[in-house]
Amino acid sequence: MSEPEDMSERRAPSRDEIVAMLATLGDRPIEEVGDQIGSLELTWLVTQIEERYDITLDLSDEDLSRMMTVSGAVTALRDVLAEAGRA
Amino acid sequence: MTDRLSGVASAPVSAPPAEWVDAALLAGDDAEVCLHMGRPVTRQELRALVGQQQDMLAGAGLAAGGTAVLVLPPSLTYVATLLAAWRLGAQASLLDHRLARGEIERAMSRLAPQVAVTPTQVNGTPMSGYAEVLPAAARQPAGRPAGTPHALIQLSSGSTGPSKVIARTAADLLWELDRYAQLSEYPGRGERIVLLASIVHVLGLVGGLLHSLHAGVQLAFVSRLTADGIREAVTGGSEPTMILGVPFHAELLTATASGRPLPQLTRMVVAGELTRPGVPAAFTRAYGVPLGSMYGMTELGVIATDLSGLHRPAVAPAPGITVRVGEGELQVKMDASPYVGLVDPTRWNGGWLHTRDAATVDPATGLVTILGRLDSQVSIGGLKVDLTEVEQTLCAVPGVASAVVVFGDAIEAYLVLDEGGSIAGVEAALTEQLASYKQPRIMRALRQLPRTATGKIVRDRAVLRAQASAQ
Repeated sequence: MSEPEDMSERRAPSRDEIVAMLATLGDRPIEEVGDQIGSLELTWLVTQIEERYDITLDLSDEDLSRMMTVSGAVTALRDVLAEAGRA
Repeated sequence: MTDRLSGVASAPVSAPPAEWVDAALLAGDDAEVCLHMGRPVTRQELRALVGQQQDMLAGAGLAAGGTAVLVLPPSLTYVATLLAAWRLGAQASLLDHRLARGEIERAMSRLAPQVAVTPTQVNGTPMSGYAEVLPAAARQPAGRPAGTPHALIQLSSGSTGPSKVIARTAADLLWELDRYAQLSEYPGRGERIVLLASIVHVLGLVGGLLHSLHAGVQLAFVSRLTADGIREAVTGGSEPTMILGVPFHAELLTATASGRPLPQLTRMVVAGELTRPGVPAAFTRAYGVPLGSMYGMTELGVIATDLSGLHRPAVAPAPGITVRVGEGELQVKMDASPYVGLVDPTRWNGGWLHTRDAATVDPATGLVTILGRLDSQVSIGGLKVDLTEVEQTLCAVPGVASAVVVFGDAIEAYLVLDEGGSIAGVEAALTEQLASYKQPRIMRALRQLPRTATGKIVRDRAVLRAQASAQ
């Protein structure tokens, strides 16, 4: 049975999906994406997430601090999107 | 092309310190909106704020010929405090608030300011283009008065030893403002700039803030540094609007173009690093306006421009700028050395500033094509980072035996750890020593660094990556 079309947008992004979004910055291969997320990559990621979920993220300093690594971004976005009722 | 000296002569260089700030930056109708930081700020309000900050600085003991360092995020407080320090006739040093604690301590020790202005409270997130700041001005007992007549001091990322101290006089800043005023495609009175570059660094400081105050341009800061936030800032006013940022911002806007028209937008101009091929054309397809570029340095400000993207990848020297190429390196005519406390003939010599950028100059048109760096400096979102500084800092971290730092799309570090050392421990230590944008995005531990047959450390990313993967 196929997944409903909007299901992918109803769950928080996985680690692979976040890495893939980061890789679109500069059209990099996925293996070029590091563990650390700099401020430009963070801006890029937030923009990508907001566009995908059609949402303006309300991110606290603490959320942004958690998103400075790929692993942290996975859990922070899961929490933020759940709180916003988007995942 | 005008001669540099004529530009200087037209500026009020002999005026008392307060007068150049008033005449060139603060003058204008009371009701004129000069800044927009979440709300409009009129010239009358800005002048009042500058007066308040002047009282604060004077209360901390700052006077003409004195020194102050500002460690403030982009904010109305920062703008007013900088202008206030200059109005007092003091020398202002700017430190990026994102610098790590160790970097700020080293800079303070080097600069020895009499007064340090730091925030006691900051409202705003890292996603904001500005913050609301409550400042405190603290007298520094070991501070020294200005040893030179410069108005502005900035530090660079150093390739050998400590950072370079770059100094500019009021006359030099006014000369740069004169260059901007002569660029017919650059915004003038009645127009707007949406600023994405930091006002702590030369592009945002002079090309954005000071030019806007000087030329009667409304300068808008963005509430959220996302693509939507930038577009909202553009549509937030009715005036013809230019976006000023770095190539990353152009890529961000291009990748997320919604097709919604931005009728106010006249052009976007980027600087700080080279734009990737394909981005300008994609930007113009998305927004129907040109993506222009500028080339400049902290030492001198704007050097060359291509504001409509007509010469890409070349740029035309700005009015009054004279360039030449020597041994493949671009050199710019500059009468006095911009460096304080540094006698390095490879940086400035005989009236020429050595840019360390490889370039060619077309003898027929005078157009300059920048080819890349001749040293280990890279640009991270327009902020200059010297890989040697990162490598030296990394090697000094306890637990690191040796390290190599290289650059591809991001800063990468390959290191050999001492017994008991860990990547996590090194990363934690680096946060105290290096600003976030200077820290390696990829860090891999190796049993040993690869070396050539003659014993030199291999700096080839492919070899380093292969060795890291093989472990």
